[in-house]
Amino acid sequence: MTLTILNAVLFSVVLLLAVGFYGLLITRNLIKIVVVLQTLVKAAIMALVLAGNTSGNPGLGQSAAATVLVADTVVAVVALALAVQVRRRAGTLDIARISTLRG
Amino acid sequence: MAGILIGFVIGIPWLGAVALWLTRDRNSSLQHALAVGFSVAAGIASLALIPFASARTVIDLPMGRYFGNLTFTADGLAVTLTAIACVVGSLAVIFSVDYMHGEAQLGRFYAFVLLFIGAMTGLLLSGNLLFMFFFWEITALCSYALISFYNDDPKAVAGGIKALIMTQVGGVGLLAGALITYAALGSYQVADLLAQAGTMPANLLTLAAFGFLLAAAAKSAQFPFHTWLPDAMEAPTPISALIHAATMVNAGVYLLARFYPAFEQVPGWKMAVTAVGLVSALITAFMALTATDLKRALAYSTVSQLGYMVYAIGVGGVFASQFHLLSHAVFKALLFLAAGAVIHATGTREMARMGALGKQMPFVRNVFILGALALAGLPILNGFWSKELILEAGLSAGPQWAYDGMLLGAGMTAFYTLRMTWLVFFGTARETFHVHDAGRAMKVSLGLLAAGTLTTWLLAGPMSETLHGTLPFHSIHSLSLFGLAEEIFTAPATYLALMVVAVGLVIFWMVRHQATTWRENSQKSGAGNWMTILSRESFGFDWLNRQVAGRTVQFASVLQKTQTGILSWNVVGILSAFLAILLYLVWSVK
Amino acid sequence: MNPTLFPWMIAVPLGVSPLVYLVGRLGVGLNFRFRFAQALALLALLATWAVFALSLGQFTAQKAILPFGLEMIWLTADGLSFLLAAMVLGLGTFAVLFSGPYIAGEIGEEKYYAMLLAIMGIMIGLGCANDLFNLWVWFEAMAVSSYLLVAFYRERSASLEAGMKYLVQSAIGSVLVLLGISLVLGQFGTLDMDKIRALAATSAAGGLGLALAGALFIIGFGVKVAFVPLHTWLPDAHSQAPSGISAMLSGVVIEAGLVAMLRALSTLGGFSISWGVLLLVFGALNMFFGNFMALRQTQIKRMLAYSSLSHIGYILIGLGITLFNGEPAGAQGAAFHLFNHMLMKGLAFFAVGALMFALLDKNGIHRPLEIGDLAGAARKYPLAALTLSIALLALGGLPPLAGFMSKWQIFVAGFQGSNAWLMGLAIFAAFNSVLSLAYYAPLVNMLYRRKVSVVVEQGASIPVSMSIPLVALAAAIVAIGLWPALMNGLTEPAALAFLGMFGK
Repeated sequence: MTLTILNAVLFSVVLLLAVGFYGLLITRNLIKIVVVLQTLVKAAIMALVLAGNTSGNPGLGQSAAATVLVADTVVAVVALALAVQVRRRAGTLDIARISTLRG
Repeated sequence: MAGILIGFVIGIPWLGAVALWLTRDRNSSLQHALAVGFSVAAGIASLALIPFASARTVIDLPMGRYFGNLTFTADGLAVTLTAIACVVGSLAVIFSVDYMHGEAQLGRFYAFVLLFIGAMTGLLLSGNLLFMFFFWEITALCSYALISFYNDDPKAVAGGIKALIMTQVGGVGLLAGALITYAALGSYQVADLLAQAGTMPANLLTLAAFGFLLAAAAKSAQFPFHTWLPDAMEAPTPISALIHAATMVNAGVYLLARFYPAFEQVPGWKMAVTAVGLVSALITAFMALTATDLKRALAYSTVSQLGYMVYAIGVGGVFASQFHLLSHAVFKALLFLAAGAVIHATGTREMARMGALGKQMPFVRNVFILGALALAGLPILNGFWSKELILEAGLSAGPQWAYDGMLLGAGMTAFYTLRMTWLVFFGTARETFHVHDAGRAMKVSLGLLAAGTLTTWLLAGPMSETLHGTLPFHSIHSLSLFGLAEEIFTAPATYLALMVVAVGLVIFWMVRHQATTWRENSQKSGAGNWMTILSRESFGFDWLNRQVAGRTVQFASVLQKTQTGILSWNVVGILSAFLAILLYLVWSVK
Repeated sequence: MNPTLFPWMIAVPLGVSPLVYLVGRLGVGLNFRFRFAQALALLALLATWAVFALSLGQFTAQKAILPFGLEMIWLTADGLSFLLAAMVLGLGTFAVLFSGPYIAGEIGEEKYYAMLLAIMGIMIGLGCANDLFNLWVWFEAMAVSSYLLVAFYRERSASLEAGMKYLVQSAIGSVLVLLGISLVLGQFGTLDMDKIRALAATSAAGGLGLALAGALFIIGFGVKVAFVPLHTWLPDAHSQAPSGISAMLSGVVIEAGLVAMLRALSTLGGFSISWGVLLLVFGALNMFFGNFMALRQTQIKRMLAYSSLSHIGYILIGLGITLFNGEPAGAQGAAFHLFNHMLMKGLAFFAVGALMFALLDKNGIHRPLEIGDLAGAARKYPLAALTLSIALLALGGLPPLAGFMSKWQIFVAGFQGSNAWLMGLAIFAAFNSVLSLAYYAPLVNMLYRRKVSVVVEQGASIPVSMSIPLVALAAAIVAIGLWPALMNGLTEPAALAFLGMFGK
């Protein structure tokens, strides 16, 4: 496998995904969770652009990526708003410490 | 005409159920009056339906592609049992006027009784397996609701849910049987199954046959499902008489009788039916020997008598089984209602506390004795004729060992019946109760049922004629009353059975002082001890039920630990499921 | 030439939603007794119903999929779309009606109706999407609005916790879906589902890539549908949301996720049997897991949430059977059960919500409703108790109620063709149904106790506007239970659409 741009992008997609999922497994801080979620979405955006390029339809991939960017920002805003509320009510950002729902 | 009457016997009780639910417990005498009115109207309609018995399909409504046609067929089998359900139903309702006097939530009580009557008739008259199952489940729902009528009593709730779940487990058998039939024949019609059973693949037919047997055993509280009926005795006594003695528990026997022609050729099926009947009849008769709770003793005896009917079908005596069903419905309803009068008066079900009540309640005593004699199988009460018919069928067509077992059962029946009567009405008074004889409404029901116990055997001729004429697949011979008498009185089997009954009675008389002290809850060692332990645990099946329930709950609580509430573990769940699917897909692409 | 009407089913609720917010916002602080926002939302739904009826008529007359394109938005309405639209509108209208007193006076009341209306439009749109990326956008929009609705009680920490978990897990799901879309785009260079379907059917190569995309779709959408073991957010979210929203989440939102998954999977071609097997496995898992988890719950809404898991299981089994043997019976049974589950679970959540409102919220108590709280509720609240009992017994599959008929239809499918595995699975499902009675029945018994619990004694009354949905849904459940053919007009086209999608 030679190092082309495409391969480099593919590699970074996989890397970002790995980092993101690893982060989700170890992180308990709500802000960090939002950050790793963002990492995951960025990987998906890169994958979309990459897919558009390899299939010879770059416009489609890029416009999709732009839309994801918008949608994803909304999610991030909602997530951060929730985090703020959690901090305000519970005085902590540690999701494990506010967990009461189980069983 | 038949169509209209079928509409009446299902529609009137259901309409009544809605009406009673809407009364909202404001006026109890109105509720009693409405319930009696609706149930008696249904009873009259059911009697009027009898002359219209025929094998024809009367109502035929298409219900959509996967549901077949809703059809009703009022053949001999169906109209007889419908009449039993509606008439005993109305008598139980009349009895309730006294028995449930002053109780709260009467609307719910009567609504479910009427819903039950309608569903039971629907089950009997339905010519479509899906709707048979539909009504079958509604009867289970009503039975559950009425067993746990006293919702504040944990025993009543547990008994109701136990009955519901056990009959539903069996119901899966009926569901599977019906679906197999549909898959194989493309039709839910009962008549199609009876006509074309031979064309079905052998393994599917076997599966359906045993599925139906499973359903019948669960509904009729036969072995190994015999544990729910005694616990169902937490229901108000008229319910025990109606649902748990005279009607719903017969549905299993009815199912076997209805489909006997389809399954009789299935290898091992008849033998399995015979064995289920035999085992049920014997172990519950045994349990009745030591029971001290009046209603539980009657419940054991119900299972035992249902065992006789199932046995009769196993040996090919379809008419004998249905004839005994009729007799049993009448005399057992009588016994239950008489017991209800006693319980109503004394406020207890413990026979160990009763004794010598006969003097204070002469009417109840007399009718109870009548019912007891019929149960024991003494001439010339209705129980005698039908039981002899069953034993004769067993001797001529069934295995000898099974016949011997049933004969032994007859002796045990005589023993426990006499013990029960003795404990309640005779002997010494163990406690003093200020009791009164039955009320007026109670006397009406008891009197009519007592008259029935004396006379329903006279119906043997017309009943067999109707069954013969309207059941094209069953090959039932018509039998005149004279023929019946001749058959029974010339058969040596009859005298053998009567001797066994006499021996049972004599043995009780000889050991009556010990036998009356046998207690279900006894801790003492002695003659009755091993018997009581066996009985209390239903030969280990109560233990088994508890284990199944306990393990299920235990498993559920272990499983609850998987909901950790920790986000990281939730993510682990997602990722591992992803890997598992990916592996499967990669494997399946190869 | 008739104009294509169905896009208005989407446009009306979505368009009116900001207006509802505006009206609600202006009403804040004015202390109107009349709730303008709610009234406007209901009016919009009425209009949507009219459009729905007209376009359903159009669809039935043309017997074809109605296409519609606007710039980058590609929509088609087939049987499945109409089923989903009927469910969304049916439950949504009642949810808006029900929520009046329930949500009155809460912080953010004005946003509530706007969000509810928006999510309804979005879900109808999701059902009509005909472009893989469009599908994702609808899906994501639905997710975002449902996060906000789950975490509606911003001042309650449990509600925030549930919302946060829901958000994180859903977000992971949507990333996975995006990755799947990238794979498909990379392979075929288009996002139009019909074109992908045609290409995937002919292309010999790329089996592995499509398998990976399929796995990503199943897990990605599966989070939303609450496949076990992706379900962990569901009991929290469904039990913490306001009851009207719990009903919507359980009755239509997870089902909309399922529709999205089916649409996406159906494009990949060639794997029908594999998808069928997977759906059957997940169906069995969901039934089993949902029932056992529900068995020991003491909080009613949590119990109902777990029961949703098991009902999704029945639906998956119905769909899986159809993918497995190509007969429409399973899919039609699944479509029927989807609709009935909406009615039953909607009614259950509404009834519990009404009781919760009267017993706890009205008295300023904010805690989950426990089973013991309902002791003797039938004496004071006969209507709520009766309708809740009807819902529970219908969920348990007892006749003469709707759940019995749709479960029956799924079982019929399992027995058709006499495949031993499918028959075994149907019997397993039937036993699961029996098991479920072990937790539904005690609750019914509790309702009809004679001795009344303290909370019931002190409970307030239930307003009429909350009772209307209860009566209507209960009546529908009984009517369908007595006459199952009533729903054929919706379920049959849905099953045909499903078969068409998967090229059978």
